[in-house]
Amino acid sequence: MSIIVGYVPSSVGEAAVAAAISEAKLRDETLLIVNSSREGSLVDKNTASEEDLARVLDSALKAGIEAKVIESTYRDDLTEEFLGLADEHQVSLIVIGLRQRSQVGKFIMGSQAQRILLQAEHPVLAVKAS
Amino acid sequence: MEFFGPVLDGFNVVLDPTNLLYCLLGVAVGMLIGVLPGLGPAATIAILLPMTYGVEPVTAIIMLAGIFYGAQYGGTITSVLLRLPGEASSVVTVFDGYVMAKQGRAGAALGIAAIGSFIGATISIIGLTFLAPLVARFALDFGPPEYTALAMLGILLVATISGGTKIKAIIAAAVGLFLATIGRDGFTGAERFTFGNLSLADGIDFVPIAMGLFGVGEILYNLEERHRAATAPVKVSNVWPKGKDIKEASGAIGRGSVLGFFLGILPGGGATIASLASYATEKKTAKDPSRFGKGAIEGVAGPESANNAAATSSFIPLLTLGIPANATMAIIFGALLIQGVTPGPQLINNDPQLFWGVVNSMYIGNILLLIMSIPLIGIFVRILRVRAAILAPITALITMLGAYTIRNSMFDVLLVVFFGAIGYLMKKFGFEPGPLVLAFVLGSLLESNLRRSLLVLEGDPMGFFTRPISATLLVLFIVVAVWPIVKGVIDKRKNSSLAASVAEEKLKENA
Amino acid sequence: MDAKHARHSAEDKAVEAKTDQSIEPEEALTPEELAAQWEAESPEPAGPIANLVSSLVVLGLGIVGMVLSVGLGLGSPAEPAAGMWPFIISLIASVMAIAQIIVGRRGGKDGEKFSALSWYAAIGFGTLLLMVVLMPLIGFEIPSLLLCFVWMRWLGGERWRSATIYSILIVLAFYAIFIAALGTTIPRLF
Repeated sequence: MSIIVGYVPSSVGEAAVAAAISEAKLRDETLLIVNSSREGSLVDKNTASEEDLARVLDSALKAGIEAKVIESTYRDDLTEEFLGLADEHQVSLIVIGLRQRSQVGKFIMGSQAQRILLQAEHPVLAVKAS
Repeated sequence: MEFFGPVLDGFNVVLDPTNLLYCLLGVAVGMLIGVLPGLGPAATIAILLPMTYGVEPVTAIIMLAGIFYGAQYGGTITSVLLRLPGEASSVVTVFDGYVMAKQGRAGAALGIAAIGSFIGATISIIGLTFLAPLVARFALDFGPPEYTALAMLGILLVATISGGTKIKAIIAAAVGLFLATIGRDGFTGAERFTFGNLSLADGIDFVPIAMGLFGVGEILYNLEERHRAATAPVKVSNVWPKGKDIKEASGAIGRGSVLGFFLGILPGGGATIASLASYATEKKTAKDPSRFGKGAIEGVAGPESANNAAATSSFIPLLTLGIPANATMAIIFGALLIQGVTPGPQLINNDPQLFWGVVNSMYIGNILLLIMSIPLIGIFVRILRVRAAILAPITALITMLGAYTIRNSMFDVLLVVFFGAIGYLMKKFGFEPGPLVLAFVLGSLLESNLRRSLLVLEGDPMGFFTRPISATLLVLFIVVAVWPIVKGVIDKRKNSSLAASVAEEKLKENA
Repeated sequence: MDAKHARHSAEDKAVEAKTDQSIEPEEALTPEELAAQWEAESPEPAGPIANLVSSLVVLGLGIVGMVLSVGLGLGSPAEPAAGMWPFIISLIASVMAIAQIIVGRRGGKDGEKFSALSWYAAIGFGTLLLMVVLMPLIGFEIPSLLLCFVWMRWLGGERWRSATIYSILIVLAFYAIFIAALGTTIPRLF
């Protein structure tokens, strides 16, 4: 069994990975670190650089757990892509980060985290930035 | 003062607020489309052709020229930061520019590219100022046979130098020439290929063809091609290169500028070839060639100076001979014709305001670009985040509504969409739209001069060889036509240069 | 949609590093490696059938052009008639088409194969045609809105919310520029 965590290069993403590492250690399971980048633009701030991924992977390995980075791409639906990966790897836990958002912002843009919470068929651990 | 009078008058034209505004608009749009994937300068200029109807000829050309050389600056940004050449002319910049960015010297690479581009362009404008009147004076004596030979050579060079197979490029050029014959024949008055259709009697307009083949064709093509994952943002700090960088790069900038100036003048030459040649030169003359590909600043400075110098000097054949040197120049040629201005040797004397206005606007445009690409670079880097899905309908709507405004005719819009489909299919089947549009623009000039020459020479085609200039041009024509066959034989024995093949690959994608 | 299958293959490229080694930051590629990479990324060439078909189309057009030109009258080199020049061009095109049939019989490296994604271009073309039909009838606003929405939502992969918002904003901007500011006579509803 394994744990999947959604990583983005921000304080929320770092918090999610930190929580996922301690959870993986506790359960002695493999950690899957997912960074999914959107198609269509040349640059996206939610796409992690290789340095970021290497650093995150390194901190997981230092904690003494097995870890693996999964880079994927999505076209329009991050939720579907992320939950698809969770299903594919038969995970026991999904870890995601939640960011602060105003009601209006949530109404206009929607919330990926909310949709993951509602649609996931696996247990979800939602983490806020410290 | 006899020479400099009109040149200085040109500055008055440029400093007119409207012209300044359009110059700024042109270079900003050029830089934007250089940064953004998808549309190249030829497509953008084609799409914006309707904008030129409402303004003075000089204002229109100042803007279109700004788009062309502005794109050379913009294309560098993606080459250096993302290893994706924004334009074909920035392909070689990738080799050392991206490595420099990985080493944390992105700012130095972008800064030296901007400075090199500025110096290259400025040297080239000064060269243009002195050379163009000489070329124009020389060309004043050209008669129909010379023009026939020159137009043929120009079309052939553009066809053979464009990416893809040469035969298909020549076919595209032939189709362009054929399209130009539709309508009433100027000599006999016979209606050709109109099938009794009155709206075809005046011939097919240049604008729907250019907007369709370049604009809509490229938009449709991009709909299918833009599925590329985003990359992580790159941090750019301190765009001013250090003194040491400038010292290392100064030789390369100088060599690149001169090389680019001369390669830009040649028909079919231009920014891409100039940048390739400059990279090769720098690598050859370097004390330690092994540094290239590992972050050598000369590998960025040389090609970037060369491509801007070439982009500038490629206006010489257009403005002095009336022969566009590449597809983008063909569209600007078309824009001039729409405005009732026929580029050629007489232009410089008949319309000095236009000639020197456009030339001198390039000084201003390059200063604006230098400002945009050094202190304001952060804004353009941020534009990389814009998703193609949002840009595509905007460009499509600009094209559709713009096409309507030309003559308030839905038929024009339909023509644009129709030629768009043809442009898309041409790309899919490996035919370049560039030679077609160029040949279309030169078609009536070529035909009328050919027929006039035949009248003068009493139907003897060998008569072309009795006049020194037309003979030289025709010999060149034959050499260029036969060269690919000879080269094919040589290439079988030794592999062609790598950089050239890479650029050809990219040229195919971006053209 | 077929596009999704294309995407799933890319998902599989998981970077594995189970031992202590961390992933290396992307190696700086030499120009040779970069060329190979671009070569691999570039779409498949159109192939021999596309070459044959396109060359035959050109050949057919060339022959039609020659026949029509002869109909216009060729004249003589000293006194060329209206059909002479188009005849020469059509002849060149036909000869080149035959040459291309022979040279490109094994496909060559040019052109691109049609893929499942080519439907996007076809749909795009369809929406442009629809806009040409609808604009004179109901003005440019609604067709433009539809075009933006279709291109963003289905051809571009925007979420429906952002597609709606951007579509409305774009049409408003075009209205402001083309109608309010420039005062053009584009057919409009409002």
